Amino acid sequence: MDEPGQQMIHPVEFISGCHSRYVTRMQRDCLLCMALFSRHDAAWGLFRLVLLCFTLGPALSAAEAVPRLVDFSTEVRPLFAKHCTACHGGVKTAGKLSFLYREKALSKGSSGAFAVIPGEPDKSEVIRRVTSVDPDEVMPKPEHGPALSQGEVDVLRQWIRQGAPWSDHWSFLPPVEPARPLIRNKSWPKSTADAHVLAQLESLGLSPSPEATAAEWLRRVTLDLTGLPPSVDDFERFTEDCRSGFETARASRVDRLLASPAFGERWASVWLDLVRYSDTYGFEKDPFREIWPWRDWVIRAFNEGMSFDDFTIRQLAGDLLPNPSAEDLLATAFHRNTQNNTEGGTDDEEFRMAAVLDRVNTTWTTWNATTFGCVQCHAHPYDPFEKADYYRFAAFFNNTEDCDQNDDFPRKPFPNEASSREESLRLQRQAGRLREELNATGVVKLKDLKQWQPILPLSANATGGVIKHEPDGLIRTSGTLPIDVVYTLEIPRIPGATAFRIEILPDSDEAGRPPERGQAISKFALCIKPKGASNQVVKLQDVVVDFLAGPRDPRNVIQAGGGLGSYPVMTGRRWGVMILEKPLEIPEGAGLEIRLEHGIASNGGVQGCALRQFRLSYVKDPGVSEFARSQQRMEAWAEHARLKNRIKELGGPEVPVLVERSQSARRETRVFVRGNRLTLAESVTAGVPKSALVGSRSNPGDRLEMARWLVSDQNPFAARVLANRLWAEMFGRGIVETLEDFGTSGARPTRPELLDHLALRLKGELGWSVKAFLREIALSASYAQSARASAGLLERDPGNSLLARGPRSRLTAEMIRDQGLALSGLLSRKSFGPPVFPPQPEGIWNTVYSGEKWNTSTNEDRFRRAVYTYARRTAGYPLFITFDAPMRDVCSARRMASNTPLQALNTLNDPAFLEMAAALARRMEKAGTLPHDQIRFGLRLVVLDPPKIEDVQSLEALYRDCLKNYRANADLARQLGESPEHAALTLVANAILNLDLSLIR
Amino acid sequence: MELLRNLFHDALLLETRRHFLRDSAAGLGALWLAATTGRTWGGESSTKRDMAQAMAPAPSGFAAKAKRVIYLHMAGSPSQLDLFDYKPELARIDGRDCPESFLKGKQFAFIQGVPKMLGPQYGFTQHGQSGAWISDRLPLFASVADEVCFIKSMYTDQFNHGPAQLLMHTGTQSPGWASAGAWATYGLGSDNQNLPGFIVLTSGGKNPDAGKSVWGSGFLPSVFQGVQCRSQGDPVLFLSNPPGVSRDLRRRTLDAIAQINQRTAEETGDPETLTRIARYELAFRMQADASDAFDIRQEPPVVHSLYGTEPGKESFANNCLLARRLAERGVRFIQLFDWGWDSHGASESEALNHGFKGKCENIDRAMMALILDLKMRGMLDETLIVWSGEFGRTPMRENRNGVEMKFVGRDHNPGAFTLWMAGGGVKAGFSHGETDELGYQAALGKVSVHDFHATLLHLLGFDHMRFSYPVAGVNMRLTNVTKPGSRVVREVLV
Repeated sequence: MDEPGQQMIHPVEFISGCHSRYVTRMQRDCLLCMALFSRHDAAWGLFRLVLLCFTLGPALSAAEAVPRLVDFSTEVRPLFAKHCTACHGGVKTAGKLSFLYREKALSKGSSGAFAVIPGEPDKSEVIRRVTSVDPDEVMPKPEHGPALSQGEVDVLRQWIRQGAPWSDHWSFLPPVEPARPLIRNKSWPKSTADAHVLAQLESLGLSPSPEATAAEWLRRVTLDLTGLPPSVDDFERFTEDCRSGFETARASRVDRLLASPAFGERWASVWLDLVRYSDTYGFEKDPFREIWPWRDWVIRAFNEGMSFDDFTIRQLAGDLLPNPSAEDLLATAFHRNTQNNTEGGTDDEEFRMAAVLDRVNTTWTTWNATTFGCVQCHAHPYDPFEKADYYRFAAFFNNTEDCDQNDDFPRKPFPNEASSREESLRLQRQAGRLREELNATGVVKLKDLKQWQPILPLSANATGGVIKHEPDGLIRTSGTLPIDVVYTLEIPRIPGATAFRIEILPDSDEAGRPPERGQAISKFALCIKPKGASNQVVKLQDVVVDFLAGPRDPRNVIQAGGGLGSYPVMTGRRWGVMILEKPLEIPEGAGLEIRLEHGIASNGGVQGCALRQFRLSYVKDPGVSEFARSQQRMEAWAEHARLKNRIKELGGPEVPVLVERSQSARRETRVFVRGNRLTLAESVTAGVPKSALVGSRSNPGDRLEMARWLVSDQNPFAARVLANRLWAEMFGRGIVETLEDFGTSGARPTRPELLDHLALRLKGELGWSVKAFLREIALSASYAQSARASAGLLERDPGNSLLARGPRSRLTAEMIRDQGLALSGLLSRKSFGPPVFPPQPEGIWNTVYSGEKWNTSTNEDRFRRAVYTYARRTAGYPLFITFDAPMRDVCSARRMASNTPLQALNTLNDPAFLEMAAALARRMEKAGTLPHDQIRFGLRLVVLDPPKIEDVQSLEALYRDCLKNYRANADLARQLGESPEHAALTLVANAILNLDLSLIR
Repeated sequence: MELLRNLFHDALLLETRRHFLRDSAAGLGALWLAATTGRTWGGESSTKRDMAQAMAPAPSGFAAKAKRVIYLHMAGSPSQLDLFDYKPELARIDGRDCPESFLKGKQFAFIQGVPKMLGPQYGFTQHGQSGAWISDRLPLFASVADEVCFIKSMYTDQFNHGPAQLLMHTGTQSPGWASAGAWATYGLGSDNQNLPGFIVLTSGGKNPDAGKSVWGSGFLPSVFQGVQCRSQGDPVLFLSNPPGVSRDLRRRTLDAIAQINQRTAEETGDPETLTRIARYELAFRMQADASDAFDIRQEPPVVHSLYGTEPGKESFANNCLLARRLAERGVRFIQLFDWGWDSHGASESEALNHGFKGKCENIDRAMMALILDLKMRGMLDETLIVWSGEFGRTPMRENRNGVEMKFVGRDHNPGAFTLWMAGGGVKAGFSHGETDELGYQAALGKVSVHDFHATLLHLLGFDHMRFSYPVAGVNMRLTNVTKPGSRVVREVLV
């Protein structure tokens, strides 16, 4: 340290020098409070000033005495990120230099100089360049940004002098249980988390706010945990309970809320944003997707208290669990919430890949709050991810059967009743296994056959395009091939033939080319053409193919509507064998013909998949027909058909789920050059980035192992991310404010120790139990504070990141609707089932090329909780969009609560809200004969405590004015209510639902 | 002690902000949100925008030529070859097989195998001093050709409607990014606080293929998303008071709400409550102002005959007139969507030789009227009109499923399309760029969608490279950060 005066500055500038052993206690306190604020915070500047004034003197003298260790993570890396990594990072490595990895920073640049030489700041090129006055030499280049400040240079210099130690960004390091904080007011905390909150307040000379009133606490906790307001009865029971003990009354109230079926409905909404849940496919026509049984699965999982590790593994890889239950399979619909483009002419492979990459990004944002998506095109600009890391991770998802088909293939039926559901799934699994077995035994049988003879067609015809056959038997087609083109091949007489093989060849066998357009037939027919008589169709007994994959069963090519080949895309050769019932007998003089029919269209139903290059061969082994006709095999086929029938009988909504392709049908995953799927680089195997893999455990190899890794101690992120998300839902703001980004570019935790403590507690003692975790927060002293903010506190901490007061947040979009229904007494408590259609203005659903209509529900479905409202991606429910719910196009980790006039218009004038107001007015009418009592009753529904007399008076005055008006104008009154009195009271109820008191929890 | 200076400076800034907020109508609203939502185009030192004042007018980066934008999007993508891009050579080879070189390595939505070439379906003549080639489908628009600046060498890389529309409006083909209108209002706020700053009007209420994401705010705060207004019923959702609630009674209701909210604010000290009071007031003003703005019956008959408008009907013409009224009132970005331009020839209504004619009639007069009207009012100089589809159409005739269809149509063509602009800072009576002799690919002076966005932002006073918003460590731009090399098309600037 060259100038003692700088000593204080660095820790202040870069927050957390408190890790350093050399820092005095005085400094430590000061630094700790610095850590409360991210550098983006508005109060930051003021705070720095205030604290500097507090501590400058003693800190300076302490600093003079003891050299301080620079903390790389909090002081040096941010400096690199600010000034250097744009050019010397992951995307660009100008001069072959990168400041993302130590070995790269310490290696020789293309200029021949070493940027960083540990221990030798004066020989390190980086110091020379950042201090240079030569405009051609100085870094950053003047056009790229301002020069480093003297303070920043000194940090860098000292860091190099201290040996240039490196450490990972905080979120890449596993959480460590911090020491129990020292606090003075030992009676306040109710948990370790409280102690952390208090320690910080005390260090700043602040104290917690007084406890909230019973009404304030009850409204807050009830809405936070269940999304519904407490009733006056609830409140009275609670205050009654409180008389025999405040703590136990609260605890038993929280337990009841957590046990309420409303709990799952509230917390599912949080999850559905991350999952981009929608009842439609997305894109142009945006058709209906029957995926609500999965939404119900989520609600049940929350209600049943499923631990988050289970919840994770089932959703990401329930299908790969040993003996998965129906519920495990249903859970995998999680990643089938990706969009599906059915627009005519859209490339199925493009949108299949888009869905795969969306799964990667969604997984990383949801569990790890890491902006992994950047790596699709290039190495991560700030965080230690190489480009191949992204595609290695994508390989986990690249082998599922779904491929952007218009019918959302693959879907599985999930009968509504639990017992049929399990039976159906058991039968589906049985049928699937049997089908694989039937093909596998066929493949084994055919493997021994050596005498395949090529078929050299005598002539070839096609109903469209051009067909040519070559002397070696290769058949090629070109030109305009209609979707349903039929190829007719006249072939030599082959008496005694027992099987025909078709080999479908790609345009190119070259490795690493992007997939080609598919080739598949839908029917294979063999005809004998006797002279002067009509054709006879030869009976085909069985079909065996190289491997089973894709939407259609190849066996059906012997009737029609099958699919033999590959579509929508083709990545390599395919073959299939059609087995005759018995050795072929051909009458004297008769000809022989093969008909290949097509009919499969991909790319939104407009792109045909006719064969372009193929060859045929035959075999005369009678054993093949005998094999196909064997009793055992015939019975197996019959059993397969019986199973399929039974599954059909059991019925149930068909939900898109993840289905892994078989070993032999696996897709290769390659790195995309610049994120473009049409230019491919090296092939990769599935794996997790090393930088995110704690410890020496072997890298996960499949989706199931990946899911287990996410919730294991080997993943540094997930517990912190979930703890932070739950904390943010309860306190209105996360410990890391950027719920979506824990990387270098995200906000830093305002209390790293508290976050680590919460993360470890969540996954440790609490066993990943969301309910237990929320219970602790709900019963904490921090949460129980009054939200009242004094002017001084507001100025000091506008965002309430210190928690020196209780949280006060706007209701979420869902809560706004649900509360209105609850207060008015209209709310239906019916749970689960297909999405519903509450009142919505005309014209919201004018979607092109789609005749789907919003038919407003007339029964109790009209008044169901918001989570059950039909969610259409291209045209969301207006109330939700206006109140900041995301469109659910992609994973969304944080809602920003805005405050706009359009929201006011919505809750004031939406007919749905008027319907609620009218119903609320009827409830109020029953509360007494005097308007005063009626209004007092209505207001009390929101505030629980006896309402303030002034507030009642304001509404009474409104009532009187309205009543006068409506009495004078009966026509006007009739439009709003049953009588002038009801109309006036309806308007009062409308006002109540629009109070700040109502919109806030 | 540079640092100390900075600290004082920061503190001063904060102090100023606080006073500003305290004295402003909205009070101390949304302070923390404001603090975390900076607008970053001005470099590091730029002041951060307060979300409670999100729509307050703001200065741009440098002198803007256009104060506002009226964007006419013809969803489905009209055929440039039958409107603006005259290709005599294409007429000459009409009906011949498409050359192999056109098909190799190309992907089409519907064309299969080898289609036939299709010449221009309508006659072309030159118009005005500038000699612009315009087909006889747009005779009235042709009369204002000297006000228009054509870009005939537009190209895109998307050939399906949804993704191409997203690219055209948000700079990327996937949903979730911010639209141009959201960027404009984010950057400039709006000159009228009683109307939304970014208004979307759709002919007949039909949404574009890509849904509402094309006017979404994406990663920008949601207040900047486009507000879809309707030409029938309430122009803004829930604008009218419900039946039985007069404006006076609504005023009374709001007074009662405000009284109680005021007490709540005093008791809790929550600045959001004060903001809410202001928002409810704004809603009340918006009820009057928006109803007034959307009431085209107020226009004199001469204006109606100029535009061909019929009040009460849902039409593109009505929306053009509305666009002018909104522009007059200071709305920053007015986005119109017309639909039915997907001229495949698969049905009569969208065939080039049938429905297309009617579509042209629907827009011809209204486009002329909008340009003339703005000019007469002296607003054209500061209002940028943009007209485009999301891609172009092929010089080949569509042969769906490989067969010639009953009606005449063209398939999607990302390789070339025409976009025109008028007013706010672009050359009048000018044409930029050329396609190849068959109008298949942009050839000279090619302009990508991102180049167009760079130009649009430039006209609004922003450097597209610096006008950004930080998302997950990347400074996001309308000119997609993953697609470097976009340029301002200076050739078209005045």
